Amino acid sequence: MESDTSEAKKAEPGSALRRNFLRAIGAGVACAGVWMNDPLRAATPAEEAAPPDIPGYDWRKHKWAFGVDATRCIGCLRCVEACKAENGVTQDAHHFRTWVERYVYLEGDEHARVDSQSDPGNIAASGSQQAFRFDNRYASAPVEKAFFVPKLCNHCTHPACVQVCPTGATYQTPDGVVLIDHSYCIGCQYCVQACPYGAREFNHAMGVTDKCTWCYHRITKGLQPACVEVCPVEARVFGDRNDPDSPISRFIRNNRVSVLKPQTGNAPNVFYAGIDKEVS
Amino acid sequence: MPKHIMRLMVLVAAAAVAGFSAKTYFTDKSYYRYGHYRGDSVAEIASDTPRFRGNAYCKSCHEKQYAAWAGSPHNKPSEGRHVQCEVCHGPVGLHPAREGVPPSFDERLALGAKHVSFGAQDGPPGKLPARKDQTECIQCHEAMPGRPAAQRQVELAAHAGTAPCVSCHDPHAPKISFSGMTDKPKGNAAAGKVLSANCAACHGPAGASTNPAWPNLAGQHAAYLITALQAFKSGARPNEMMAGMAAGLSDADMENLAAYFSGRSCKVSGADKAKVSLGKKRSASCALCHGPAGVSPNPAWPDLAGQNDAYLGATLKSFKDGGRSHPVMSSVAKTLSDADIDNLAAFYASANCK
Repeated sequence: MESDTSEAKKAEPGSALRRNFLRAIGAGVACAGVWMNDPLRAATPAEEAAPPDIPGYDWRKHKWAFGVDATRCIGCLRCVEACKAENGVTQDAHHFRTWVERYVYLEGDEHARVDSQSDPGNIAASGSQQAFRFDNRYASAPVEKAFFVPKLCNHCTHPACVQVCPTGATYQTPDGVVLIDHSYCIGCQYCVQACPYGAREFNHAMGVTDKCTWCYHRITKGLQPACVEVCPVEARVFGDRNDPDSPISRFIRNNRVSVLKPQTGNAPNVFYAGIDKEVS
Repeated sequence: MPKHIMRLMVLVAAAAVAGFSAKTYFTDKSYYRYGHYRGDSVAEIASDTPRFRGNAYCKSCHEKQYAAWAGSPHNKPSEGRHVQCEVCHGPVGLHPAREGVPPSFDERLALGAKHVSFGAQDGPPGKLPARKDQTECIQCHEAMPGRPAAQRQVELAAHAGTAPCVSCHDPHAPKISFSGMTDKPKGNAAAGKVLSANCAACHGPAGASTNPAWPNLAGQHAAYLITALQAFKSGARPNEMMAGMAAGLSDADMENLAAYFSGRSCKVSGADKAKVSLGKKRSASCALCHGPAGVSPNPAWPDLAGQNDAYLGATLKSFKDGGRSHPVMSSVAKTLSDADIDNLAAFYASANCK
């Protein structure tokens, strides 16, 4: 073997040079790789680094989740209006962080008739795009079954939107909330496409994507999200799953809850009671 | 090593250094602290100021309204009902300071489809009025398929037409308690009898009017009589004759007079039978407040049974043409034709008032 190589060396003087060169390049690339990757490797997981500087709040101690009881919702849309006021969402009929859908089966219907507050008929009933109301279009119709379903960002355990974001503008926090860093959002809207729930809206005025944060500025101060705060019938439930006595833990324990589109593998953290298969 | 290879390596190294320097320079310090995102953004998002501040903040100044609300059906947490102040009044922000008060409903309408900023706004100290028309109430209480049966709902057309809900319901304590209201007059009937000499010339010595154009007072609710006298005195109900009569009456005088007249027995004058039966058919919209037979279940609203038909007709016409105004009666009277008014007056004039 040894002799073969040395003979080969002698036979082809240029081969040693080439081999050395390739070795040098290989080592260089390996070193560069280690060097370039260093910040990534040095980055500690979120659980180990000191938590963000939020007074009186430690994100390692919470696991937030949201519940929606469709059997209680009266479709008053106070939550939609409150969300817009609390978060400064664009005041028109096209931008929502949370919304409410109405599912109606008339006699003989196989599929539900669905409308939401931004339906033109409902906007006509409220008289403006700044206030919201469901019109009474089914008042004298033969309704077999009808119910309202509030919707919002599901803050998934495996969020597709975070996976596709090219700039790290949207991310998941250890306490289970998916947030958007508007200063890093480039407005490409990949996340809007990726979300199976249509929970993300594009703010045309600011050129960034926007969505529900579960009122992160409120829950980190010990308050409820604005929509939960104003819901007059407790159709919206919020709390910490780490606390077995929190409203959400009780809600999940005491109801037959489901999540929307479980087949997508996003593992949502908004749990629904009282919906049927048509709701997705 | 050949020169051209050296050059190439130097170029590669220089590009790597430049690339890494640029990356270090342009990447935020907190990027990668927790993961593939800017760590500082978490605290930035969390630092926003909440605009909805909860009942405790309202209670600190508006104690009376809070107490009325706390005992009402709008506050029944045990039944999962919790209609807090900000549900109807909107987010409190930094109220009462104008600065930082989120725009009211009307202001939002004026703003149009804009991204609303919550900075300083021009104008008077921030007020947070709830809407006084029906919209505030029917947002939750309009009967609608899809609303759970446990939710209190009304068919608007049958309940009160287009009358504002607040003309009968106090939104802080919306339940009207008929049982809680007593018709037992507080005043002294004997003292009232002495005073009533001034009224007798028109309303008769025992409250049975001498002229059908003037109302009978006998048997009327004391609470309503007092309200009427107060309205004459304050000018809220303009009437030259009565303004002069009521001007000299103290609150105690009014109570005494009310006690005297409410205790007298009324008598029915009777009217044209054909008109009576037509009037009875038209009386459904009056029945909710004035009772199906013209005897009101609530002492704050007048009994109509046994009242003079000329007076009833004139009163309805004056509500209709704006001579008298009342949030409910003005809108109800506008739906009545002159014939309706005649028939209704006849129906109530002949109804048994006992």
